[in-house]
Amino acid sequence: MNAVLAEIYSTIIPSAPYIIAAYAAIWVILLVWLFLQFRKQNKLAAQLDVLEEALAEKD
Amino acid sequence: MASKPSAWRQYKILLAKDLRREFHTKDMITSMGVYALLVLIIYGAALGQTSSSLDVLQMSGGLLWALFVLTSLLGLNRSFSYEREAAALDGILLVPMDRGAIFLAKATSNFLFMLVVEVIALPVFWFFFLANTGLPASMPYVAVPLLLGTIGMAGVGTLLSTITAATRGKDILLAVLFIPLIFPLLYACVTATTAVLVGSVDFMDAFFPSVALSAGYDVVMLLASWALYDFVISA
Amino acid sequence: MAKTKQPKLPEIGQWPDRLAPAAIIGALVLTTVGFLMAFFYAVPVNGAAVNGAELIGGSMVTSKLLLSQKIFYFHMPVAITSMVVMVFMAYYCIRYLTTREQRFDMCAKVCMEVALLFVIATMITGEMWTRFEWGVWWTWEPRLTTYLILTILVIAYFILRTAIDDPERRGVFAAVFGLISFLDVPITFMVTRIIPSSLHPVVMRESGMTLDMGLTVAVCAVGFLLLAFGLYRFRFRGQRLAERTQALKEALDE
Repeated sequence: MNAVLAEIYSTIIPSAPYIIAAYAAIWVILLVWLFLQFRKQNKLAAQLDVLEEALAEKD
Repeated sequence: MASKPSAWRQYKILLAKDLRREFHTKDMITSMGVYALLVLIIYGAALGQTSSSLDVLQMSGGLLWALFVLTSLLGLNRSFSYEREAAALDGILLVPMDRGAIFLAKATSNFLFMLVVEVIALPVFWFFFLANTGLPASMPYVAVPLLLGTIGMAGVGTLLSTITAATRGKDILLAVLFIPLIFPLLYACVTATTAVLVGSVDFMDAFFPSVALSAGYDVVMLLASWALYDFVISA
Repeated sequence: MAKTKQPKLPEIGQWPDRLAPAAIIGALVLTTVGFLMAFFYAVPVNGAAVNGAELIGGSMVTSKLLLSQKIFYFHMPVAITSMVVMVFMAYYCIRYLTTREQRFDMCAKVCMEVALLFVIATMITGEMWTRFEWGVWWTWEPRLTTYLILTILVIAYFILRTAIDDPERRGVFAAVFGLISFLDVPITFMVTRIIPSSLHPVVMRESGMTLDMGLTVAVCAVGFLLLAFGLYRFRFRGQRLAERTQALKEALDE
């Protein structure tokens, strides 16, 4: 690689970690949030089933 | 049907009530004034290592407004606690008062208390930290950001202190709500005040846009606070 | 007082819920496409000039190619989305204040949660950009400042909510604060933008977008808007489930 090409590409490698971090951050934030909410909702749905059964027995 | 007093008269009555109570107890002014003095003493320690008053001059706008915001927070926290404690607010609300008048009266009294403290604190600040530097020719202009900033803080602060007066942990909550909301006004007023205090020839370059934006903030936020106050006070 | 027409309340299973799964799938597809477009379709942006020229891929290049600008293709759409979600938040705040239906308060709260998610994502991507381009982790630049204030306002909104027990009062106070912070955001941007700062000059980087850049941003923006919608409905469903569970528990206790 000649000097000019090296200069043209000079910022690519140093900036790569930041770009990867930026894209990864968005995905990680969204996925973690989704996972937490999903777990919460599954728990709620299960609870709801139990409660509805209990209510049906009581009536 | 008995004609109820006009909104203007209600406003005057409510404002007079606040001012009269203050005149008797001198509660707000004393506590805010002492607090301002304490902050200045902290500044004394904080600025002890600066070599010349020129260093301080560059920061003076920011230091002054930090002082004003802190004392205003104190005043705003107290302004509604009395009403809540004495259940005076319920009494006011039983009478078919104009809600806008309640807001304006409260905001005006807060504005006046803040202004009195600021007018006292500014020369004291100058005396403590900037006594060696001469007064710049642009000094009189300091009144403009002072007025605009205080109007905005009193307006938004009155709305927010009404909200927080009814919540748990109200003191810290008011700060949490008040400081980010006031940020643009603070930024503009600090710029304008610093420009005036430094007093360079072209101080108008920074002063004018800052003052214009403060005025814009005041108009928008006062209208919004006034319009939303009805909901807050009846809740 | 004559009872006014009951407002139609958002509920699980209405038409938005039928669209939500499609929106999520569309969002995943579009953001993936946008991601690939950002790196393989959009032309790299030129930086500082270099001494000399070199033929790359059939065109002469005379300046540094900036890869860091690729952050922009996700950063800006995420920022736009957070703003759009804030608009819906303001809408539900107004709806709550006029109707006093708890449902709208809940909608506004869910909007705020989704907004917080996107605001944090914007902050982090912006940080990465700032760190590389300007070499600092933080600078009081207009957009950064505005987003910092916005983040604090959104967090303050949730702090305010936890400090009040009575649901009616909590709804009113939260709606009022939500509306007034919604007004505060554009003012903050204008103030920090217009007022000259002696330390950090406003960085003007707007050199206009070329068609390939615009298209990539548009694809990503639509993707993230769909995602925000999907997430909102998902969270809305969760909230309704929680409310129903609560109601059932109370019914059982009697």
